[in-house]
Amino acid sequence: MSIPSLLQWIESTDLSTAIREGALPYPILGGIHLLSIALFGGMVLMTDLRLLGWAMRRSTVQDIVRQFRPWKWAGFAVVTSTGLLLAWAEPQKLYRSPAFWVKMALLALVGVHALGFRARVYGSTARPDVAETIEGKLAACLSLLLWAGLIVSGRLIAYDA
Amino acid sequence: MSAPTFFEWLSTSPWANAMNGPEWAFPLVQSLHFIGFAFSIGTIAIVDFRLLGWTMRRQSTAELAAELDPWTWAGLALMLITGPLMFSTGAVEYHNNPSFQFKMVCLALALLFHFTIHRKVARSEAPPLAAKFVGGLSLVLWTAVVAGGRMIAFV
Repeated sequence: MSIPSLLQWIESTDLSTAIREGALPYPILGGIHLLSIALFGGMVLMTDLRLLGWAMRRSTVQDIVRQFRPWKWAGFAVVTSTGLLLAWAEPQKLYRSPAFWVKMALLALVGVHALGFRARVYGSTARPDVAETIEGKLAACLSLLLWAGLIVSGRLIAYDA
Repeated sequence: MSAPTFFEWLSTSPWANAMNGPEWAFPLVQSLHFIGFAFSIGTIAIVDFRLLGWTMRRQSTAELAAELDPWTWAGLALMLITGPLMFSTGAVEYHNNPSFQFKMVCLALALLFHFTIHRKVARSEAPPLAAKFVGGLSLVLWTAVVAGGRMIAFV
């Protein structure tokens, strides 16, 4: 199956039509997508700012990472599942949108970032003074840049096409 | 100056014109608005989760709230700069928009709650049931603010 016909098939599914044409599903999914930034974005920010030594200095990096991890995963599950449903509604438009592809590339880099830094910065084997290391600060800066980029590119999708 | 003329004046103000200029201005300011609420609502949500007993239980709520407070303020400042900037681009339409009106009522309630009851409970050793109620209500109020904001574009 070629990509154009795959996208066409997705748009012809009942689910896609329901999200695209119903009055409520699209804004509700978009609202939940956005709400996950409000409810869980603070945990991402505070983890990174703790690594930079700017926030929550009374707790160790390890404790903050461990405490926030399940919630950050929950937020990630919510944001990706609502994002997937929103994309399912209009795949042909997104396929043509440069901002969408920038966002997907940044999302892939978030995965690379997690794999690359997990053991030495965010894992239980990370050294206790990781917040004092260049590696810890680099991980935090890159994470902040990636998430800011995801927000900006996500917003710009609405202005493509 | 009556209310309608004020909103008309606002929508032709220099900053409204600047926002209406380049195509990227509005989405960029909107992105900063989202980053602003990741800081403000995001840090308030951490305190709410703590009040509910869901995270950071080794630290007292009072200590956690005090540590997060400057970041909440930073986020509120960013929100309260970028929000009115976006509002000014279509002041007349926005102030008549039911979602916008709903959002402003919820925002007023959420801020009032945050700086009175929420602050007091977060900074004292409140009984667990009261703490849970306050944390839950705070999450509901801020959720309504975000939901109302999202609906502005659809109503």
